[in-house]
Amino acid sequence: MGLFNTLATALGLRKREVNVIVVGLDNSGKSTILNHLKPDLERAADIVPTVGFNVERFKAQSLAFTAFDMSGQGRYRNLWEHYYRDCDAIIYVVDSSDKLRMVVAKDELDALLQHPDIRPRRIPLLFFANKMDLKEAMSSVKVTMMLGLEKMENKQFHICASNAITGEGLSDGIAWLTQAAEGRQSKT
Amino acid sequence: MAAKSNAYMGSTTSLKQIDKSEKWLDALSDPLTSLYTFNSSIALSDLNGDGDSKLIVADLGTGTYQMKLKVFRGTSLMSENTLLDLPTGVVTFHMDTTEPRVPAIAVASGAYIYIYKNLRPYFKFTLPTLEVNPSEFDLWTQARDDLIDHATLYDTLDLLRKDVGAHCLTTRTQHLLMCRTPEERQTFIDAHKYFIVKKRTVITCITTMKKNMAEEDAVSCLVLGTESCQVYVLDPEAFTLLMNLHLPSVPSILTVTGMFDVEYRMLIACRNGKIYTAKRGMEEGRLTAELSSQPVGLERREKSFLVGCMDDNVYCFSNHGKLLWRLRLGASLLCMTTMELASHAQKLLLVSLSNGEIRTYQDRQMVDSFQLEHAANALRFGRFGREENVLLIVDQAGGLQVKILRRRAKFEPMETASALTAGKELKLNIPKKTKLFVDQTMRERDNSQSMHRIFQYNLYLLRLEAARQYVKSLQMSLTPVTTEEQPVRLAAQVLGLGPMFKIRVELQNTSALKIVQDLGIRVHADEKLYQVQRRFMHAPILIPGVTYVYDTLVEFVSDLGISDQVRVFITRGTQSRPILSAVINMPVAEVAVSA
Ligand SMILES: Nc1nc2c(ncn2[C@@H]2O[C@H](COP(=O)(O)OP(=O)(O)OP(=O)(O)O)[C@@H](O)[C@H]2O)c(=O)[nH]1
Ligand SMILES: [Mg+2]
Repeated sequence: MGLFNTLATALGLRKREVNVIVVGLDNSGKSTILNHLKPDLERAADIVPTVGFNVERFKAQSLAFTAFDMSGQGRYRNLWEHYYRDCDAIIYVVDSSDKLRMVVAKDELDALLQHPDIRPRRIPLLFFANKMDLKEAMSSVKVTMMLGLEKMENKQFHICASNAITGEGLSDGIAWLTQAAEGRQSKT
Repeated sequence: MAAKSNAYMGSTTSLKQIDKSEKWLDALSDPLTSLYTFNSSIALSDLNGDGDSKLIVADLGTGTYQMKLKVFRGTSLMSENTLLDLPTGVVTFHMDTTEPRVPAIAVASGAYIYIYKNLRPYFKFTLPTLEVNPSEFDLWTQARDDLIDHATLYDTLDLLRKDVGAHCLTTRTQHLLMCRTPEERQTFIDAHKYFIVKKRTVITCITTMKKNMAEEDAVSCLVLGTESCQVYVLDPEAFTLLMNLHLPSVPSILTVTGMFDVEYRMLIACRNGKIYTAKRGMEEGRLTAELSSQPVGLERREKSFLVGCMDDNVYCFSNHGKLLWRLRLGASLLCMTTMELASHAQKLLLVSLSNGEIRTYQDRQMVDSFQLEHAANALRFGRFGREENVLLIVDQAGGLQVKILRRRAKFEPMETASALTAGKELKLNIPKKTKLFVDQTMRERDNSQSMHRIFQYNLYLLRLEAARQYVKSLQMSLTPVTTEEQPVRLAAQVLGLGPMFKIRVELQNTSALKIVQDLGIRVHADEKLYQVQRRFMHAPILIPGVTYVYDTLVEFVSDLGISDQVRVFITRGTQSRPILSAVINMPVAEVAVSA
């Protein structure tokens, strides 16, 4: 498989760049997740709330990801939609300990799914039910329910409970995303 | 009563379609929190300085027991402190500049203010004792020395109460006067008479005022209203009285803007239904507005303030006390608060009504409304958790609801119907009854019959004259629109300033199908004054609907500075009687410049 991949790339048969947009409410842990996905040496020591957005790159298996780490603060959320058109996958991060704002997370997700650049596409959606280490955190099943994911149409999605600080659950999610993105690319 | 309840039912049914607002997201609806509280006893503040704003509620418990200070973090109760007495108000404020910068909680209750820091009791402030009424003091001293009996004590105190008012007496006397039977009085007097009588007042309302800096986390003073008709300002660090303001009545709602050391303005709504203003340096409140009933809520705006009253109205006064407008709510007002949307630079008014409706007003215009199962006792809008625009509702059944304003929600006037009702409320300026007015009324009452007859007679004459003129104009074709046989409309206008004018005649066939043929247009004017270039113009055919335009030049030839009429007649074929005519009043001609 690995050999085949390298060969395929060398022959220019397969594009290996994937654009993902990372969205979710402020303080949900988007930047912390992306920080953990980077190689040890490039990791930032502390994470501050993102202003506007940042572009991060990381590699996972055969693919090179370009991630748009959007700010989740209310006043920057209208930036998200400008990146919908050119993205190949979406990572949606939810703070699973923030019960109060789960409705807001759902409202923003619904707006995303209804957007004309997203609605007609069968784009892979990866959900991180983040901060699973906190004692008031809800399970990923509860988060699935509260976001109404089972009613979602025309999308393939996957949800993992995660802890962005230790990196628990992240690789599972990214593995699914890699597979989904590869599947899509080989079809096109 | 029956009619009233009907009216309520009517209004609830008509509201059915708007009882859920799509502007709000329901973040939490917990019917089991069993909170008993009011607007003044709720605060929102980032107590730990971690960017997560908490809800602080002084819970009245059952009203006699179980009074608690509760702090909610998100959806769960975070801490609880028992309160000794019923709370009247809760505020959070920064009392010092020590790091970390976390705010303290002040709970007003009875004559005390309990300060909590980091959710732990920190300090208790007691209001200064007041001077006891000398006769009251003497009476109690005599009672202690058994110089007077209980009945005399009671009766004289009751007389004193009638004389100076119950609020000038001590709580002990007030208690005694409330005892119904002589036995009760006896036990009460025996239990209390050996203690020296002290007068302590009770806090009625509390708020904060920045001391000398306007920043969000600057040090603030506490401002208190008391049952003794005073407003105190307390120093936040030393807890000394910085200022003492006297009012004619008991303050019930306080709002303050500005800074104590610089300039400030207090608005104080009092129990006598009046609103007073006080600025820096004033010792007594200045009467600003008089209400027709007791105030329920007071909210400040830029150059005006809003008062919700027990007569189900919201009044808007200018800062100088001029009534700007009034809003009828149609149900009792339970509480009100301001919703400030920084992102839209909007300040809206939220009101809770006894029928369970929550309405949002922008000035007088209703912009949103939704229905609750139980009416809301307390409303608070602000930052809660990490969300900026959150509405917290405590309802009469003790439930807590949290609603988050959607990011894209906009508050715009819902319909023009409310504008119509606003128009209806315009107050007519009715002058006072004068002697002349009374005389006229008497005369009208005495001579009503003959006045009616004369009026009718004149009316008939008027109608007759109108009918005559109408017939005449029909006969002489003076109207610009003809009747059935010749459906032609004529419009004539004059263009230019003179001395050369242009008269433009427009003819239109107003019928649907009939073609009108062979019309002549004649322009007639006094020859001494006007020289008409084309006195006759021929209109061979008029097709239905098309407007035909005919122009002619008319020159003013006289040197008199006057003007006259020019007539336009429309004739048909060889008939000499015009079928239509128009009269043009010519403007006074300008003098030709070249001459
Ligand atoms: N306990 C715990 N804390 C987390 C976890 N993930 C993130 N955090 C903390 O949450 C806070 C916010 O994380 P960020 O990564 O800045 O959140 P963000 O989604 O990028 O926020 P914005 O950039 O403002 O949109 C930080 O203090 C993180 O340390 C987690 O899994 N567990
Ligand atoms: Mg970030």
